[in-house]
Amino acid sequence: MSNNNGGNRWLIGIVVILLIALCGALLVGAAAVYMLTQGTSPTAQGPLTIGTPAPGQTPRAATRAPSTSGKNILRLPGRGAGDPPTLDPALTGDATSAEFVVEIFSGLVTLDRNLKVVPDIAEKWEVSSDGKTYTFYLRKEVKFHDGRPVTAQDFKYSFERAANPALASPTAETYLGDIVGVKDKLARKAQSISGVEVVDDYTLKITIDAPKAYFLAKMTYPVAFVVDKNNVERGGRTWTDKPNGTGPYKLKEYVRAQRLILARNENFYADPKPQVDEVQYILGGGSVMTMYENGDLDSVYVTINDIERVSDVNSPLNKELFVGPEFSTDFIVFNTRKPPFDDPKVRQAFALAIDRAKIVDVVFRKMAVPATGILPPGMPGYLENQFNVPYDPAKAKQLLAESKYAGKLPDITWTTSGAGGAAPQYIQAMTAMLKENLGVNVSIQQTDWATFISQINDPTRNPYQIFDIAWIADYADPQNFLEILFRSNSTQNWSAYSNPDVDKLLDQAAVERDVQTRFKLYQQAEQKILADYPVIPFTFSQHYELTKPYVKDLIYPPLIIPRLRYVSIAR
Amino acid sequence: MAADLPKRSRYSPFVRVVLRILGNPPAAVGAVIIFLVFFAAIFAPVLAPYPYDKQDLSAVEQPPSAAHWLGTDQLGRDVFSRLIWGARSAVFVIIMVTLVNLLIGLPLGALAGYLGGWADTIIMRIADILFAFPGLLFVFFIAATIKPSILEWAKSVGLTDLARSGYLDYAVVIIALGVIGWAGLARLIRAQVMSIREREYVIGAQAIGVSTWQIITRHILPNAIAPIIIALSMGMGDIAMSEGYLSFLGIGLQPPAPSWGNLIFENSRYWRSFPKMIWLLWIPGAVLAAVVFAFNFFGDGLNEALNPEVSD
Amino acid sequence: MAAFIARRLLWLPILLFFVSLITFVLGVYGPGDPVAVMLGLNANPVTIERLRHEYGFDQPLHIQYFNYVKNALQGNFGYSLVKYRDQPVGVLIAERLPVTIQLNLLAILLGVVIGVPLGLLAGVKRDSWLDLIVRGIVIAGISIPIIVLNPVLTFIFSRAHEFTFGNLSITIGPVLPMVQGYWEGIFSPKIILPAFVESMGVIAVMTRQMRAGMIDELGKDYVRTARAKGLRERMVIVRHAMRNALIPIATILGLMLGGLVAGSFLVENWFGIPGIGALAYEALFARDYYITMAMVLLIAVAYVISNTLVDVTYGFLDPRIRRAP
Repeated sequence: MSNNNGGNRWLIGIVVILLIALCGALLVGAAAVYMLTQGTSPTAQGPLTIGTPAPGQTPRAATRAPSTSGKNILRLPGRGAGDPPTLDPALTGDATSAEFVVEIFSGLVTLDRNLKVVPDIAEKWEVSSDGKTYTFYLRKEVKFHDGRPVTAQDFKYSFERAANPALASPTAETYLGDIVGVKDKLARKAQSISGVEVVDDYTLKITIDAPKAYFLAKMTYPVAFVVDKNNVERGGRTWTDKPNGTGPYKLKEYVRAQRLILARNENFYADPKPQVDEVQYILGGGSVMTMYENGDLDSVYVTINDIERVSDVNSPLNKELFVGPEFSTDFIVFNTRKPPFDDPKVRQAFALAIDRAKIVDVVFRKMAVPATGILPPGMPGYLENQFNVPYDPAKAKQLLAESKYAGKLPDITWTTSGAGGAAPQYIQAMTAMLKENLGVNVSIQQTDWATFISQINDPTRNPYQIFDIAWIADYADPQNFLEILFRSNSTQNWSAYSNPDVDKLLDQAAVERDVQTRFKLYQQAEQKILADYPVIPFTFSQHYELTKPYVKDLIYPPLIIPRLRYVSIAR
Repeated sequence: MAADLPKRSRYSPFVRVVLRILGNPPAAVGAVIIFLVFFAAIFAPVLAPYPYDKQDLSAVEQPPSAAHWLGTDQLGRDVFSRLIWGARSAVFVIIMVTLVNLLIGLPLGALAGYLGGWADTIIMRIADILFAFPGLLFVFFIAATIKPSILEWAKSVGLTDLARSGYLDYAVVIIALGVIGWAGLARLIRAQVMSIREREYVIGAQAIGVSTWQIITRHILPNAIAPIIIALSMGMGDIAMSEGYLSFLGIGLQPPAPSWGNLIFENSRYWRSFPKMIWLLWIPGAVLAAVVFAFNFFGDGLNEALNPEVSD
Repeated sequence: MAAFIARRLLWLPILLFFVSLITFVLGVYGPGDPVAVMLGLNANPVTIERLRHEYGFDQPLHIQYFNYVKNALQGNFGYSLVKYRDQPVGVLIAERLPVTIQLNLLAILLGVVIGVPLGLLAGVKRDSWLDLIVRGIVIAGISIPIIVLNPVLTFIFSRAHEFTFGNLSITIGPVLPMVQGYWEGIFSPKIILPAFVESMGVIAVMTRQMRAGMIDELGKDYVRTARAKGLRERMVIVRHAMRNALIPIATILGLMLGGLVAGSFLVENWFGIPGIGALAYEALFARDYYITMAMVLLIAVAYVISNTLVDVTYGFLDPRIRRAP
């Protein structure tokens, strides 16, 4: 620095001034953006509260509640990933997106709050005597949010768009694949879908490849919803920034990672009509429980850490608690192609050596229910006590000794999916039990979701020996669990389980048209599967939700359905 | 601070450095903490009263007692034992990453500094590229992407024992931290070598035909050793911290293998509903912070002890 | 000088080439597959194959890379595959960037406001107890891991704490009950903790530099001359030594501007700040690799430009540096 001369000083002065100017400009710009987006001046912020709260009284947060001037506004937390990965019905394959998509869009049929398939845009339908042709009669008063009437052509367009291979829909194959011609279109063998026929403006005929009882249930899924051709074609890739749907709510505003606001569709065609003016979703994550307690949210999901507090009958929160089923089962899956789990005795020994009730009690704080079968309670075809395996370490040890791996068990790695945090404690608890009861060392390996699903969805080459995963029902039908997870050639047959008897029962059940006989067949299959221990049904998930008393009829269904049209607010 | 020690001492240079560090309270505390951590790491099997993964679901979240000096965690595991074993994980990673950094950074930096020209350009440009990556994010990137491949490869060549014992988790952490860590060291060594290579004794050695290798190893490196040691000591703190981050995010050591990062993760949100359990966060948090502190203070003290003219 | 700047600028595209190549290879490498994430649990081999083809993932790596570079040069950094399907990556980053820049500016500002006076005092009162404390703070700033600092500060400030002394019970707080989630912009009190955590490193650097600079300057001849002339000590420090010691601070600030675009994902994630760091982190684990690519490139460009700027400034200051490559 000693050889500074005047010229350099001058230069440095300029650099410093430029830096300061840049900082200033950015700050002013930031302030301007803030004021524009918030619509308030920065000084309107509430002051910091530093003080002594009275006992039993929650301190008022320094945050402002979203403005509620004169309107009926419901404020909800975002779930899961927060931001919906997509708002395009044809691309929706995850629960986070579906929760919004089912409110903005709608289709031929929907699920009501009792999970029955009921008319939606189609007011009625006829099924041909062979069970393969469905004729849907559309309501005449249905309009898109912009006022354009919905016709059968719109449905044909929407189906063909969903099955356009260039769109790369992840769900078209699974949900629309039963319709004749969809697979050809996806494979670029056909230009249109032969099984979808427009009879007239308000009549649509759909032909499927076999009399499948669950076809109508699949039509309630977003990929079968109707979209507006003009909206899609003019909007380009990002048309869902301004979606023109038919559902009970319209998208009013969406700021990624911050908030998503739905506004009531005044012209909604079906009953009950939506009653709440606006539904605001807070997507930022963070301490939603604190926000609920501060009155900044009208409903919140309860996490495991708060479960004891809200379950306490003396707690005021307990009166706001809702507990109900979710159509979701957590499984511990054995890869039946990989040693040592190709021996059913080893699988059974593992099942007996894990004290599921204890883990649910201590680690889950009773927040889940130990699973008693593959199908979760409430699911059509559910039967109690299908899986009734007690904790029995002595018998487990004996079974392991009888197995072909007695005394020479290979190394075992338990793979679990996750990122952004260490593997969960309940898995550590289970491996510790296996070590103590069977003397086996099971190491845990966490891998990101992308790697995890690309490995397990290829059952013949899946390298994992034992892993855990939850299956959430897409529609309320036992086929969605039993056939998809346990039929020999199914992609999601994660345990690589293969039993010809089970396959036969499942095939029979798929096309059986008498409901009761059909459920019986599924129950037999479930029993046969569980006797082979390809999986340990671990827990049934449950909804634990808090709702403010002034919110009426905010329901928490076991799977995702349009639910916001039932809500009302009575402050 | 070192001023009150005799300037022309009877002691050997090594003893002088030790005395200077002992005369510098923060550095002395740092040295003691580092010693304790290494001691705990080496004697973990003897020191820890319980196995690190021994759980007791009927005695969870117990406060400190005679049986459990630091209480038990949510699965009834002994917190003290997990901390001790955590020291072993941390020390293992620290030593291995430092070795990897040295093995790559030392020869490359020395060559770049001594040879100059094209060798210098190429080596320093590679270092430049590594510097341009966003530090920790890149480490996570590597750890997240290479891990499955390493696991698969290890199994395919029959290293299943390694996979089971968790050494592969260490390997991933070590590779991820080592791959970019050497660049800083190489830069430092290059600068040192460049300044030394112009000195008379080196030029003299060149004149009488001593080989390049011998000049670097015999004459240049011994004279560049002080800043290298200081950089390594400071770097060890960073490595301990990065190992904590990786394990915190679930891409480092896998539980139940004990790592301080895991202990912090498992308790970082827990107190929100159970404020009394905040001590489960305090303990590993304080330990990790203290260790990083210790390496930094020690490095600082070492700096003053080895370069007294800088501080005086 | 012009040749020196030209050399640095010529190096930029080469560096970006290597940075993007390494990122691309790492991004597409490994069994994790964006198509699989897109499909979720409904994936089946037929659909996976079809989508891989539609997205061009079945093409050889070098062709995929070539296409990426070709589009990137035209300003198209691809579309999000998983997190925000079909949204242009450029838009996603542009949305998040202002948040991170605001937060980082605030952190730098805090760092300067706290760090410079601390360093000044420590340098003037060298070897006093004050100096010792300041140096302790500096090392603390770079030693306390963020994963510890985040929850500890949140615990301290978001809860009410009760202290009991005999019959007297005092409750303090909560000072900031809502520190996590629900971004309200930079003018919300919630910004204090994340900005402080982010500023720790800046404080350390500023203090250390300022202290060293003051010690350096106060030992120089001109200071001795000024003192000998009978100038008051305060004038010596403020007018002469401080002014010169601030010069390197400006350089460091220049370097930090490069870091403005690199959000700390540990901080953003913890405090629920919708910035670049949070996006990078989510994209990384979701294998949404066009986002990851763009992010790494952005940070690399910012790093190189700010580095070049600093080098150029140094080049003006010290002519010897200009000869180095």
